[in-house]
Parts: sequence; C-alpha cells; structure tokens
Amino acid sequence: MVANSSNPQANNISLQPREWGFLGSFTAMASPCEVLMALDDQHIAEQMLQLAFQEAKRIEQKFSRFIEGNLIWHVNHANGVAKPIDAETVHLLQFAQQCYQLSDGAFDISACPLMSLWRFDGKHSVPKHIDITGAIEHVGLSQMTLSDSHVYLPSGMSIDLGGIGKEYAVDKTAQMIAKQWPDHSVLVNFGGDIACPITKSDGWQVGIENPQQLDNAAALLTIRQGALATSGTTRRYIEVEGKRYGHIINPKTGYPVEQAPLSVTVLAPNCVMAGMLATMSMLKGSDAEAFLQQQGVDFNVFRG
Amino acid sequence: MQLTSTQSIASALALASCSLIGQTQAAETVPANDDWKVDAAIMYYGEQDRVQAVEAIGNVQKAFGDSSLLDLKIVVDSLTGASASGAVAQAQSQTFTRPSGKGEYTVKAGDTPLDDTFHDTRVQLSANWQEILNQDWTTNVGMYASKEFDYLSMGLNAGIERSFNKNNTTIALSGAFTNDVVDPVGGRPVALAEMVFSADYNSDAEYQAAFDQTRLNGDDTKQTTDVMIGVTQILNRNWLMQANYGLSSVSGYMTDPYKILSEVDLNGLTQGYRYENRPDSRLKHSVFLMTKGALDSGVVDFSYRYSTDDWDITSHTLETHYRYYFSPSFYGQLHLRYYQQQAAEFYQPFLMVGDALPEYASADYRIGDMTAYTIGLKFGQRLSGGHEMTYRLEYYQQNPDNNGTEIPGQLQNYDLFPSVKAIVAQVSYSF
Repeated sequence: MVANSSNPQANNISLQPREWGFLGSFTAMASPCEVLMALDDQHIAEQMLQLAFQEAKRIEQKFSRFIEGNLIWHVNHANGVAKPIDAETVHLLQFAQQCYQLSDGAFDISACPLMSLWRFDGKHSVPKHIDITGAIEHVGLSQMTLSDSHVYLPSGMSIDLGGIGKEYAVDKTAQMIAKQWPDHSVLVNFGGDIACPITKSDGWQVGIENPQQLDNAAALLTIRQGALATSGTTRRYIEVEGKRYGHIINPKTGYPVEQAPLSVTVLAPNCVMAGMLATMSMLKGSDAEAFLQQQGVDFNVFRG
Repeated sequence: MQLTSTQSIASALALASCSLIGQTQAAETVPANDDWKVDAAIMYYGEQDRVQAVEAIGNVQKAFGDSSLLDLKIVVDSLTGASASGAVAQAQSQTFTRPSGKGEYTVKAGDTPLDDTFHDTRVQLSANWQEILNQDWTTNVGMYASKEFDYLSMGLNAGIERSFNKNNTTIALSGAFTNDVVDPVGGRPVALAEMVFSADYNSDAEYQAAFDQTRLNGDDTKQTTDVMIGVTQILNRNWLMQANYGLSSVSGYMTDPYKILSEVDLNGLTQGYRYENRPDSRLKHSVFLMTKGALDSGVVDFSYRYSTDDWDITSHTLETHYRYYFSPSFYGQLHLRYYQQQAAEFYQPFLMVGDALPEYASADYRIGDMTAYTIGLKFGQRLSGGHEMTYRLEYYQQNPDNNGTEIPGQLQNYDLFPSVKAIVAQVSYSF
C-alpha cells in the first residue's frame, strides 16, 4: 500500500481504513508509531503517512546515540574537539540547555555515564558508590559550549537526546502535516507521545495506560487540540534488601529519585513542552503532583 | 537563569519549545550536506635566497553510509629557485657544469654555491578508503602517486585498527610499499666521478664524450617498505597518549644526482668537483610519543620523536601545539618544534685532494649535523554553515653544524654551514 518505503517489512508500515478515516502505523525510534487521519481520501492518507514515517526516521537516524557514525556519534566521539553542527541541532541543544537551567540541573542530556551504570535488567544490584562518583565527573551540561555552528564537549562527556527526540519528532511531524493539509484533523502518536495540531471538533479519545495493568486503559482523555506526553516506563525498578530503586536517576546525586511516580502524563500546547514537564515532575519525586499543579497544566500521575 | 517562581517553568518551556519547533522549519529549507567535506588550501614556502614553492592542496572526503569514508587528495606544487649543490665557497668565482651537461653557471667569489637550475612542478594524488567493520575493527587501504619531471613515485598502503576497553585503547598496525623511479636530467652521475668542463676540450663532441663518461644510462629505482605499530590510550577525560614504533627499509637509488662535493687541497683551494654517492640500502627505526589534552578552552599536545638508521643519522624532535579558543568559533594556535640531527657516517663537507676516495660521500647539508626549529601561529575562524577558514604563518630555520671536520686554509674565511631560513604561509578553506 505504501510504495515508496525501501523496506516496509522491517518498519511495519501499514495503512488501514477506519470508520472515522485512516489509521497509519509503523515502527520507529524503537516504538510503535501511529498517525490517525480523519479524512476520506486514501491518496492524502498515504502521503501523510509517508511524511510522518520519513520525518520520524530522519530524526532517529540523525539524533539517536545508538547509530554509529551519525551526527550525535561524531559529537560524542569528538575527544574534546569542537564539532560543526547544523542549525537544527543547535536549536535542540539550546533547548536542552534551557531545560537544564530551568530544572536546576536535574534534566541533563549529558547524564549517560550515570544511566549506563543503573541497568534495570532484572539483576538485583546497585552500582558501587565509587563508580557513581566517577561517572558524575563526566556529567554536567554546563560544561558544554555551544555556538551558532559548533558544539564543544570536554573529552569523556557525551550527550543523549533521547529525552527530547521522540517528542520533538512528534511536534515536527504534526507541524509539517498541518502546514501541508491545514483542513484535516490528524493525531500523531509516537510511542505514547501525542500531538493534534488541528482542532477536531469532537476530539480524539486517548487512553492512558496504567503501568501496573498494561492491557487496560486506566484513564480516557479527550483531546481536541494540543499535545500530551508521558514520562516513566513500566516495571523498571530494582529491589535490593527491600528497598526499591526507581528508574529516574538524579544526575546531581547519581542515585534514583526517591518516591518518583511510576508514570506522569501531561497535557500541553506541544509535545516537547508536555514531555519536559512530565520528566521534570518525575525528578521532583514525592513533589511531582505539587509541581504540576503549580504549572497550571492538566496531568495524570500513577504511583505504585 | 534565576527563577522567581516555579510556575514560570511552564511559561519558559512554552516559549522555548515554540522557538525550537518554529525555528527548525527554516533550518529545513537549507539541507546540510553532511557527508561531503572539502578542503582547499594554498601554501607558500620560501627560503631566503633559495627555494620558493607554491602548493595548492585539494582534499575531498565523502562518507558512504555510517561506516565507509573515501578520502581523495591532490597536491600540485611548483618549485623555483636555487639549492645548495654541496660545493664550498671560494675566494674566486666558481664555474659549474649544469647537471644536464648543457651549459654552465657561475657562482660569485665568497658565495655558497647554489644550483639555480632547480625548478619543477609536482603533482601528487592519493586516495584512501576507510571502512569501519564493527565497533572494534577499522581498516583502511590507499594508493599514492606522485610525478615530477625526473621522478615518479607510486605506493600502496593498508592499515588495521582494533579498539579495546570501550574504545579507550586503540592498537593500529599499518604498512606501506612505495616504488620510485628516478630519471635525472642528464642521466645519473657515475659515483664520485669528476665534473668535466667544456672549456677543457677542443670540440663539443670531445666534451660530450667526456661528459657521457661521467653518466650512467637509463633510470633507476628505489623501493621503500614501511611498517608501523601504534597504541593510543585515553588516560582520563582530558588526556590521551599515543606511542608508535616505525620501521622503514629502503633499497635502491638514494643518491641525490644533483649534489656534488668540492675536492680541496691543504690550503682550502678547490681543485675539482665530484658527484656524490650514497649507499643503496637504509634501515630506519623511529619511536614517537605524544600526549594530547583538552584544557578548559583549548587543546594542547606535546610530542617527541627519536629516529635512528644504519647510515648513523640519529635525530630527536620535540614538538608542541597549543590551541586556545577565544570563542567557540575562533581559535589561535601556537606551534613550536625543535629538531636535532647527527650526521650520516659518510657525510663530509668536502673531499681532500690526495686522500683515498671513500666508497660513499655526500656534502648535502640535509644529512649533516644540524639543528632546526619552527615557530608558527595559526588562526581558525568557523563560519556559518560549518565552513572554516584557517591562516598559518611559520618561521623555519635550519642551522647546519660542522661534524668535526678540520677546515683547511682559506675555507676558514667562509661560513661553510650557512643557516637556511624559511617562511611558510598557508590559507585553507573547509566547507
């Protein structure tokens, strides 16, 4: 059905008619991705799906830190040499810097050395304290120097845009679709991060998963326009001697945030903002709800 | 950014996120061609009163996917000027037969004899293919060719790199083979043959016959095999170090066909000139140690190279570069280099009349005792769109020394080991 994809099997692209329009789906950024299109014209639906797929793949290829040889890989292997980067990357890194400052250092895209110590792979072990203090030395976005065309990271540091990339891809895709087809309502959903750029009069029904009961939608939201994003993943904790360590790591201490919610879903005008508020609230631990209330946004918090 | 209330986080994020998503629309209209990289440079090298060279360098790198890189380079240089022939200065003017045998040139009394027939254009081409096989292994293969009027050099090289220890340690092994063909203007001189002069003969034919007696027919070749093994170790977040050992074996024609030696008597008076001769094999070992560090707003490296060979040439090189970023898009770099060399065993500044002729002899100051230093400055300016301009200016001085030879008679009046001073200027543009 989608002719232009080079390898439709691996990406599982499909387009299916529904009573309200078309459901397009594919796999990108290690997540199931969907585009819900309230329209009758299958040709337009194919074009929208193709656009969404290509944009998701483009952003994944460019910014995933797991793809050897891409832009992020070069930045992370620069060994203390300033690397040329394009305007899009400059803007993303500027945004990451702003989030770092707004969260007082709690949201840090340079925290990978710490994250890799805390593996939530089911083996019950807490990293050694000396390893944690060693890793913290290589963490701290304030050490990144950013110009209009270059980024400089001290040798040994690396960055991971995973905390922004998927939401950014959702917003970019939604924006491109809305620009090209301003008269059609569309919902872009990449792995649970969602944007609806054009108002749908009767709204989209969005189910929010309960992390403890994955198969049932625990809450149902109606979105007419805007975005939502969820922070927190399921079953990711380790338990040692009765103490449960959650998966949200405070980059300043190197240890998991205590009493962090299992998941937080936030509604906001765009997906990047929703995702960042959700992440920042997770980092607040027991104060997650209070923090979100102060921000004046709609949200949903699950605690175990 | 100091915040007065937590609620402003949402407003600040709203602004920042809109700016992020809004601005990228414009960025999209200028597609960045990430996988091409082109460098162009022009370099001037000028020795005071001697060789001048202008060199144009073009380099293209093209990435194919994430794991393959093609690197193509072309260098065209044009050399003019004069270089020291090896003969010594005299109180009288001196006349030399040109290497071609056709014509003569005269050097003024008291001057170091320079051969001014030196001019050539050289074209060098090289291609290198690098392939990242997986996270641990990288390989490369390359070809090289260089052509000038009297010289053709062609080579192949290959290397393999293995990373260990989460890329903190890299071991590299590489090898190269080069074949050179030398076809000097006027033919290769017979080893230590005496220079003949047309004025000593009654006819052109007689002179030509005598000149031909000093020459060998045809070209000659030289083969070079290089092997290098190196280790690069990341020491901590700011420092890395590298150690290399290199072995180079050369066999074939290594004599410089344009270099001569004066044959002087006990008063230092030149009685004649002989063409030099060098051994036809050379085995060279070198060790290189380098450490490189990232500073708060700069990069510094220090290196030391020790080299020794079976011609008894031993050298030590100390070098450092210090780069300072005045801003993320503008840097200045200081370069200092000190070099010290001990002469080849067959180096001698002149031959003595009456002494038995040695098998090998050369008065080429480049293989004599010498110290040299370089002081350089470089500035780099990053422009929009990932382009970069760099400017380099260096001063280079070679100070040849006497290797312990006793200087007879009038030769003591002259500087037999004059310094060579040179300027290097280069402008490069990368895009």
